[in-house]
Amino acid sequence: MTAGRVSGLLGVGLLASLLLALCLGAVRYTPGEVALEALRLAGLASASTLDEAHRVILGEIRLPRVLLAALVGGALAVTGALLQVVFQNPMADASLLGVGSGAALGAVIAVKLGWSFDIFLALPAAAFVGALGAALIVYMVAEGTRSASLTSLILTGLAVSAFLSGLTSIILIASEEFRVRAVFFWIAGGLEGRGFTHLGLAATLIVPSCIVAVLLRRPLDLLLLGETEARALGLNVPRMRLLLLALAALLSGATTSVAGSIPFVGLMAPHAMRSLVGPRASRLLPASFLAGAILVVLADLFARAFSDKYDLPLGAITSLSGAPYLLHILRRTERG
Amino acid sequence: MPLLEIENLSVRRGEREVVQQVTLTVNASERVALVGPNAAGKSTLLSAIVGLLKPSQGAISLAGRPLAGLGNREIARRIAFVVALQEGAPRISVHESTALGRYPHTGPFQDLSATDHEAVKRAIAETCLQELEERSLGELSAGERQRALVARALAQEPGLLLLDEPSAHLDIGHGLDLFALLETIAVRGVAIIAVIHDLVAAARWATRMLVMDHGRIVDDGPPERVMKGEPLGRAFGVSITEARATGGMGSTWRFERRASG
Repeated sequence: MTAGRVSGLLGVGLLASLLLALCLGAVRYTPGEVALEALRLAGLASASTLDEAHRVILGEIRLPRVLLAALVGGALAVTGALLQVVFQNPMADASLLGVGSGAALGAVIAVKLGWSFDIFLALPAAAFVGALGAALIVYMVAEGTRSASLTSLILTGLAVSAFLSGLTSIILIASEEFRVRAVFFWIAGGLEGRGFTHLGLAATLIVPSCIVAVLLRRPLDLLLLGETEARALGLNVPRMRLLLLALAALLSGATTSVAGSIPFVGLMAPHAMRSLVGPRASRLLPASFLAGAILVVLADLFARAFSDKYDLPLGAITSLSGAPYLLHILRRTERG
Repeated sequence: MPLLEIENLSVRRGEREVVQQVTLTVNASERVALVGPNAAGKSTLLSAIVGLLKPSQGAISLAGRPLAGLGNREIARRIAFVVALQEGAPRISVHESTALGRYPHTGPFQDLSATDHEAVKRAIAETCLQELEERSLGELSAGERQRALVARALAQEPGLLLLDEPSAHLDIGHGLDLFALLETIAVRGVAIIAVIHDLVAAARWATRMLVMDHGRIVDDGPPERVMKGEPLGRAFGVSITEARATGGMGSTWRFERRASG
């Protein structure tokens, strides 16, 4: 299958997932009702078959949540794809490298100190600093040991992640209950109660970051050749790796600030897409974005449709599917 | 003016001075075989010439311009480096791999122009890879992959081509094909420095042989003289004697291990 066809299918798949996610939930809509409401919101139709309450649920509660799920899923997948190039390891992922834990710690500190209530954008900024800090620690440890093996990378990420989670726990124990509840949301990951404000905030960071990632497709392709060859072709490899790491941290910080920690999407989406469209960034990044978006839209649909009384944590659902996927890849790598 | 001038160059790797006080010049169209025992400093010297390692002492100039004053991409437009063949290759096609050779000319954001596409096409044609153009690097044989690496280097349109053990994984037939290709490239004016382990192949292909031992150049000259010289045998710990030439096929060489001590 050609890369173009894969992207086309993924595009159709994403539209279908979005439609499904808009239709299903505690209140159900028909595809026709959703389509008519979408036309009305776009100003292309004036009539609506829905009453006011149903219009609000669909247009102001479900629509921003579903769009945010797609945006966050896409961003997580692009983050994974970038980290996999930086670490020259097809299994690198924000959650495995402690980047997610760093972002969570940053968010927790912002909540604990009250910044998130007082200062605009303090939470995403703190999540970004935490993500970048964790990424830099893992990068420096990996560089210091000069070991690029999968096992040592995962163990380094695990150690950094455990350390940062330990700090997070200590801060949580010393926090008031209402702050703990606010923080648990970020650790478990989820999109409950997210609206257009969050969508706007995430889009402001994620869309430009993804555009920059695609613009850097040629240096990304060069890094596929390995450090020596990339440098011999004129690429400043250390500077480019730092830039990509900062971009990945920015994306990770943006997703964590609106959706908390959602592990494994950054591993599964690019890994699966690489086997379909190849490793070149011009094809891999868009395909990964679409696959990640589909994954999180469907996972979030499951999270809120599972029970009428409560939402399941989104991060738990991606972990339940991602962990077996990781084990499957590890077994295949060990054999291969 | 020589294409490459190296003046009193030393390169450290950690505590060890791997290249010591090397001075040499290389002119356009020269085919230089860099030979020497393992860990003599050959690959380190190539890495320093292409700017991957900083010298601890001395200077390198390209057509009169100091290497230290050139940017990464400026160097890559003048020098191409074909690294030793590694296991595993990215899943990109021969054409895509060759097109990456234009990076020094386009930079990070610019797409390939008509001139770039022409250069890629020429490089693929010169290395006879047209039929394998869409094949993934991972699906190629060692000989084909080596040619693909040379194609990428040619797409850089360099004045100086460096190769680290280009024939290491090739059978005799593919090895001869590769050396013939390198000879054609040199005729166009490109200077070539290649690290070659097979002394006979090196002597047959090169117009000049450099012998490295313990980080120093211990002999430098035309192959027929260097092969008979004492420094080459001493560097490898072998005795080298010219054997009877048969049927006008040129010199053959006999190697025997010298008694140690």
